[in-house]
Amino acid sequence: MSEEPILRLEGLTKRFGSQVALSDVTFAVGRGEYVALLGPSGSGKTTLLRSIAGFEIPDAGKIILSGREITRANVYERGIGFVFQNFALFPHLSVKDNIAFGLRNGARRLSEDEVLSRVLQAIAMVGLTGLEERGVAQISGGQKQRVALARTLVMQPKLVLLDEPLGALDANLRLRMRAELRQIREQLGIPFLHVTGSETEALAMGDRVIVLDQGRIGQFGRPDEVYNRPATPNVARFLNRYNVFDGALDGEVFASAYGRFAFGIRMASTESAYAVRYDRLVARQAGSVSPAIRVSYIASEYLGAAIMHFFETNDGKVVEVEHHLSNGPPSTFSEGEAYDLTWTAEDGIVFG
Amino acid sequence: MSTIEATAGKEAAVGKTAEPDQGRSSASRSYLLIAPSVIWMALFLVVPLAMIVYVSFWTQSTFKIEPKLTLDSWQTFFGSDTYLNSLWTTLRIWLIVLVSTFVLGYPTALFVGLFVRNKTLQTALLVLCVIPFWTSFLIRVIAWRPMLGKEGAINILLMKFGIIHQPIEALLFTELSVVIGMTQIYVVFMVGPIAFMLGRIDPNVIEAARDLGASFWRILRKIIFPLSLPGVVVGAMFVSVMVLGEFATSAALSGRKVNLLGNIIVTQVGSLKWALASVVGVILTVIMGFVIAGLLRVVDLKKEL
Repeated sequence: MSEEPILRLEGLTKRFGSQVALSDVTFAVGRGEYVALLGPSGSGKTTLLRSIAGFEIPDAGKIILSGREITRANVYERGIGFVFQNFALFPHLSVKDNIAFGLRNGARRLSEDEVLSRVLQAIAMVGLTGLEERGVAQISGGQKQRVALARTLVMQPKLVLLDEPLGALDANLRLRMRAELRQIREQLGIPFLHVTGSETEALAMGDRVIVLDQGRIGQFGRPDEVYNRPATPNVARFLNRYNVFDGALDGEVFASAYGRFAFGIRMASTESAYAVRYDRLVARQAGSVSPAIRVSYIASEYLGAAIMHFFETNDGKVVEVEHHLSNGPPSTFSEGEAYDLTWTAEDGIVFG
Repeated sequence: MSTIEATAGKEAAVGKTAEPDQGRSSASRSYLLIAPSVIWMALFLVVPLAMIVYVSFWTQSTFKIEPKLTLDSWQTFFGSDTYLNSLWTTLRIWLIVLVSTFVLGYPTALFVGLFVRNKTLQTALLVLCVIPFWTSFLIRVIAWRPMLGKEGAINILLMKFGIIHQPIEALLFTELSVVIGMTQIYVVFMVGPIAFMLGRIDPNVIEAARDLGASFWRILRKIIFPLSLPGVVVGAMFVSVMVLGEFATSAALSGRKVNLLGNIIVTQVGSLKWALASVVGVILTVIMGFVIAGLLRVVDLKKEL
């Protein structure tokens, strides 16, 4: 990480009409890093990826790849691989010819022997041996994903961009491909920049995670940092693991509409809010504990290893509580009944 | 009303007793759907076609024709330079128009189908291509005369701008004017199917090719053209069938110098020479059959549509 980063973005900005898609995005990706880019839809994550690939030209800012500025360079001169969400395979070509396309039609022409040996090597790497001559309409979603990956990797790119690469696969396959993607990247040692809308995918895949919030970087850090110390209230919201309450910091406590709470961690932020993780909350009989939030019970959802309980405050805000079943059998609640939710102050994160 | 109820009642009864029977009856009901078109095609296509083949072997005398089988008319056709020449002319003009509609139509379709990504604008442009069809076929053909003639619009303009000093006479009443006229009339049949196929190409596929380092021309040759090929084939079928059967454009714009097989049929029918007209009709049908079969071999349309 101390060495020269492979990719550096400086103040990248892109507007579509009056809408700002990217605003002053600055970050660097190191050699061999797997960076996950997390953001809700409309956060600008695909625009960011497309700008790096060269499909969009940014309005301001610089993109520097291996020390060379490529902000306005042609797509085919960049040496960046792009894996599309819908795979974008060439429908009239076989698996082998899809993978060979870049080698045969790219700027650098190779001998057909060389092309074939590299293609077969790539096919073996992604585990498609035996399907070389298949048409791409005759293979499964997971296999298409592998063809798309092999087609990109065979070009030996300096950087691979993946636009929600697992989004089109079913849940089972998604988990398997996660492991495979990481393994392939480790073999090749080139940086991957992986865009995803799924917080679990981002945390599981990334050596580091960038959280995009309305075209800006909300946070860039290791998965455990992002998970345990989200930098802004929105980052906490995107993680889908925090109850976030509005209010204001008042000296050593946080004043919210539900009471005054002490906290363990303070994150400097322009927005003020109080966040506490779903699994840090405990529900008790109303009136038995303090400080607490008075809520009424709505419903529960069984997740296998845990149970999610949904409560509602008197002003209609839903508060989620996760109970891990390894911590003993779940309590039973009755619908509409009042309860108090409590937590230890150290688990409370305050923004402001 | 009562019959419908009766039928429904009977079906319900059948359904109760034996399930396979119901499967068969629903299959036979779906055959009913195509019955009208089958009857139509049989009456107005298959029977007349068979008649034409039959009549081509009839004995033709000056004023009457009788169903006595003979090869006379066939021998007349293949023994005459005039008729054989018109066969070659037909094939030549067909090929030239096919190529010119493709050369003119493909870039147009490329623009409409691929570079215009706004669907409304795309539709508007395609409608624009069809506007000439709001006037009748003959008017469209004859309108070329004041354009191409010795004192026509093109010659006047070229002379006004000093590009030429003598009017170009070769523009009208030549094979060239027939080709120009036909290209204008039929090019839209090439543009439509190609634009349709191009519009179906996933833009990501083209971006993927760019990302893999392919230049615009490479992408056009290796990705865009192959993917639009079914459109080219369908367009070529439309144009081929229409040009091979043409007679009006050549009659109006060639000053009777270009005689296509279609023109011969018109003349022969005009002088009640049904047998020879049938011979030419059979020959044209066979040619079209080969052309369509050949085009279908280029691409598997079943797979594409």
